[in-house]
Amino acid sequence: MSTPTRRVDAREKVTGAARYGADRTSPDLAHAVFAVSTIGKGRVVNVDTAAAEAVPGVLTVLTRIDPAELGSPGFVMGGGYGFQSLQPLTDDRIAYRGQPIALVVADTLVAATEAANLVRAEYEAEPVTSDLDAEGAETLVQEEAIPLPFLADIVVGDADAAFAGSAVRIEETYELPRQHQVPMELIGGVVEWRGDTLVVHEGTQNAGALRGGLAKQLGMDPAKIEIIAPYTGGGFGQKNSLQPHVGPLALAARRLGRPIKFVMPRTQTFHQASFRPASRHLVRLGADETGRLLAAVHEVDQQTSRHDLFPSMSTEITSRLYGIGHFRGRQRLVRTDVQTPGFMRAPFEHPAAFAFESAVDELAYAVGQDPVALRLANDTDVDPVTGQPFSSRYLAECLRRGADMFGWAGRTHEPRSMRASDGSRIGWGVASGVYPASVAPAVARLTATSEGKVTVGVDGHEMGQGIRTAITLLISEDLSVGVDDVTVDVGDTRVAPQHLTAGSWGTATALQAVHAALRELRKHLNVADSDPVDVGAAVAATGQTSVEVEATTIAPGQPPEIIERSRAGLVAFAGPVYPGFTAFSFIAHFVEVRIEPTTRRIRVPRVVSVADCGRVASPVTAASQVRGAVVWGIGASLRERSEVDPRFGGFANATMEEYPIPVNADIGEIEVGFVDKPDPMLNPVGVKGLGEVAMVGVAAAIGNAVFHATGRRLRRLPIRIEDVL
Amino acid sequence: MRPFSYAAPATLAEAVTALAESGPGTKILAGGTTLYDLMKLDIEAPPAVVDIHRLAEIAAVDTTRPGEFSFGAGARMADVADDPVVRRDFPALAESLAKAASQQLRNMATVGGNLLQRTRCGYFRGGPVFPCNKREPGSGCSALGGLDRGHALFGGGDACVATYPGDWAIALLAFDAVVDVIGPRGARTVAIADLHVEPGDTPQREHTLAGDELIVRIRVPVTPSGRGSTYHKIRDRESYAFALVSVAAGVAFDDRGVVEDCRIALGGVATRPWRAPAAERVMIGERLTEATARRAGEVAFAGARPGTGNAFKIELGVRAVADALRIAGERAVR
Ligand SMILES: Cc1cc2nc3c(=O)[nH]c(=O)nc-3n(C[C@H](O)[C@H](O)[C@H](O)COP(=O)(O)OP(=O)(O)OC[C@H]3O[C@@H](n4cnc5c(N)ncnc54)[C@H](O)[C@@H]3O)c2cc1C
Repeated sequence: MSTPTRRVDAREKVTGAARYGADRTSPDLAHAVFAVSTIGKGRVVNVDTAAAEAVPGVLTVLTRIDPAELGSPGFVMGGGYGFQSLQPLTDDRIAYRGQPIALVVADTLVAATEAANLVRAEYEAEPVTSDLDAEGAETLVQEEAIPLPFLADIVVGDADAAFAGSAVRIEETYELPRQHQVPMELIGGVVEWRGDTLVVHEGTQNAGALRGGLAKQLGMDPAKIEIIAPYTGGGFGQKNSLQPHVGPLALAARRLGRPIKFVMPRTQTFHQASFRPASRHLVRLGADETGRLLAAVHEVDQQTSRHDLFPSMSTEITSRLYGIGHFRGRQRLVRTDVQTPGFMRAPFEHPAAFAFESAVDELAYAVGQDPVALRLANDTDVDPVTGQPFSSRYLAECLRRGADMFGWAGRTHEPRSMRASDGSRIGWGVASGVYPASVAPAVARLTATSEGKVTVGVDGHEMGQGIRTAITLLISEDLSVGVDDVTVDVGDTRVAPQHLTAGSWGTATALQAVHAALRELRKHLNVADSDPVDVGAAVAATGQTSVEVEATTIAPGQPPEIIERSRAGLVAFAGPVYPGFTAFSFIAHFVEVRIEPTTRRIRVPRVVSVADCGRVASPVTAASQVRGAVVWGIGASLRERSEVDPRFGGFANATMEEYPIPVNADIGEIEVGFVDKPDPMLNPVGVKGLGEVAMVGVAAAIGNAVFHATGRRLRRLPIRIEDVL
Repeated sequence: MRPFSYAAPATLAEAVTALAESGPGTKILAGGTTLYDLMKLDIEAPPAVVDIHRLAEIAAVDTTRPGEFSFGAGARMADVADDPVVRRDFPALAESLAKAASQQLRNMATVGGNLLQRTRCGYFRGGPVFPCNKREPGSGCSALGGLDRGHALFGGGDACVATYPGDWAIALLAFDAVVDVIGPRGARTVAIADLHVEPGDTPQREHTLAGDELIVRIRVPVTPSGRGSTYHKIRDRESYAFALVSVAAGVAFDDRGVVEDCRIALGGVATRPWRAPAAERVMIGERLTEATARRAGEVAFAGARPGTGNAFKIELGVRAVADALRIAGERAVR
């Protein structure tokens, strides 16, 4: 089979044929808009809806819902379904600016918007706490606040003693800002009742949680809820759970007997959904004079909300980057007045790697070692935390190949030693990235017809990462059928439980289930386990027009019952530590920055990234994942910061114009390489994750390059023009 | 957005009549990229709108007459930015438009509407959450003591430090442009230098036109320093961002290579388009060197009054002036 040069749904997307949640219009559609709190904390005393209700076309203005009618969805990281536990409109408490205080439904979007603007509220305001060090911030030790084994501090050996006894010591603090995911597709969709069945069309990474959460909130049988999300226009973690607008919309749609469309305005997406919390990282590295790492301490303070504890898992990766004999992690959570923060592409790993990999670069300079050589010298085959082997680990090869592709040998070590003909300072930086290779339970139902068509319904969500393409390729290659003869249904609770697709486990999870279903199919068709199959003929030979098979797969070491958690819409993944081995993906990034001689604009003309993600399941979309992650890394380290004015809370630059994601003109050449060696232990398809590891370390490589160019070590992101003037 | 009445007159004369007859608060609508935006944010709420976007009468660009370029107020930003004659003879003008907004916005927005765009101050645009004297006179200024990285170093006061955001007016100011205006009381010509005002105690008042006055065209005297000019814009990303600091600069040399005309205006750092005449005087009679250009930059920023987060723009601005003069000098005919 020839490998397609484009994603299988490219044409649908480009021509607009792909239908996203909000595209599901119908003639009797009503439109919803939320009015939101203008204070950052306190109580809403009175909501005046008279003027709003008087707007022609307004159908209803809802300001309070009885908690008996709409309960809390529970927090997704606390055994629940919601991005936060707090369900707005169910009491008078205001926990953050931008919290909904009224839901307006009208015949038209214009009327709903106008009416929402006319909702007036009286508040009792309280002082707002926004920053990690602000008065009113409450700091908790994570392992005490959430006593779950996987959130406990990682301790190996005696890092403090080994650090104290080290000949070379690095100790620095790194700060990372709040950031937002800003996916192209806004949050929202269409909610409708078909008889007593609730149908939700909404872009999501977790249709299962929408169903499970709505069942819980509304006291419904989950069998009476359908979530349909064939396409998600970017999630990046922001769409990984049930959002609090859906429950109120379901109630309003039932009362009005009409489908309701809701598209959250961009500014509200900054306030009514998760974001990357602010974090601060203290890193201590102890080494000998050659740069051999002996001890590391990584202490993290990470922002959370008052109402939920969004945990940090920063040290899961920093304890595995290198073979360090003594490691001590400590993760603390800081409560502030904000919506609950959450997962945003490489949620902990991007900040943690910025801190740790900057510190490693500082060590390289402290001992006068080349930063690539120092990393290679500290590589390990054994997981230092568990003592188990890694299922596969090609970080050293990523570093070596990347250095080759980049031309690293031409680098001069001294900071400020490289200069372009126009006088710009040139800086070359490197950093490693690692990310856990997790797997979740999945169900795949495969149908083959006597016409030679194959359809699969499977756990997974297509949010642009290319899961549909990867699944199509697997089937096409396995059975030798054309890609056009394969149909993939994902993101739909009618075909599979639809466990959360996140944490870079999506492809491995779906492919292993589809692979198992293909084995089932071959049994049913009575064909050998690996040869090409004439599917149409083989189906016809069974005397039927179609054959349907089903397979359920789980992660290594999981009990079979785990699938029930997934069916309930709960998070049920496993990894990166499995019985007998530990699994991570790896990457090395090489970055060139150029800094103008006078006005000091920082440019990134080229990046080389080489990844070890196991077998590359879909070359086109895999390379695209890496390029996208590098672009994001450039934004995350040189531009993006969600600004907060602590007097008001909320977010100040909450538009695409003001929140400075990079534009095309900011991006130079990005060269991507893959080790492409199957992981033999994790699953039969040999696939690990890619989407997030691709971003881990980009920021550190950029910061290290800025140091190389300027001699200035910048430990706070984003690095902006004022930092290098 | 609130309901409003809408009229689309077919001729300029009808437009003037429509404006004369409509009540207070009526707004002229050109490309709508500022006006609709602010209406959606509920910051502008005009009861009536007079749409001039399709008036061909005021959309012409004329670069053929000696001594003067004329730009109809309704000409699209993109068309002027791409005009080959403007690009050759007046790069600062073309660049100020090309480096503004995005291609989509430039295709829609007009060079007349551009002049009257309103500040991007987040407290102004953020609505009732934030006190803002410009939006709600007397309510206070949240930018004082707040997030002021983008705010003004010049022309601000206790009432307001919001930056004038546009690029085009900066270039026009450097080259002594004028605008021709028409209204129910007749036609008049206003120097661009007299169009915008500092906030003083009335930051809600941003310019000197009456509500029923319509900009018909913008005229710019053609000078040698126009050919030797640039619009140098420093921003947080390479496109689609307002200026942190921008400099419109023009230079002309005499036959000995001494600067005989110099133009410097600053954007992104003042409450209105900001000319730097003292800095221009530094250059006149001197050779353009790294040292004199730097000196001009220092003089241009001498009176800057920073807040808490924008002091870096002084040094950045000094360097941007020096770079702009160098680029302009390279283009000037010697
Ligand atoms: C996301 C974004 C980014 C932007 N970035 C930049 C940038 O980097 N640099 C920059 O310079 N600009 C930028 N802009 C602003 C943009 O250039 C202006 O919105 C545009 O030029 C306004 O022109 P318009 O024709 O759309 O005006 P309108 O929105 O139609 O009108 C603007 C104002 O001018 C008045 N008006 C319009 N025409 C006339 C007339 N003939 N006579 C009298 N009054 C009139 C209107 O009543 C209104 O008050 C940006 C805008 C957006 C939305």
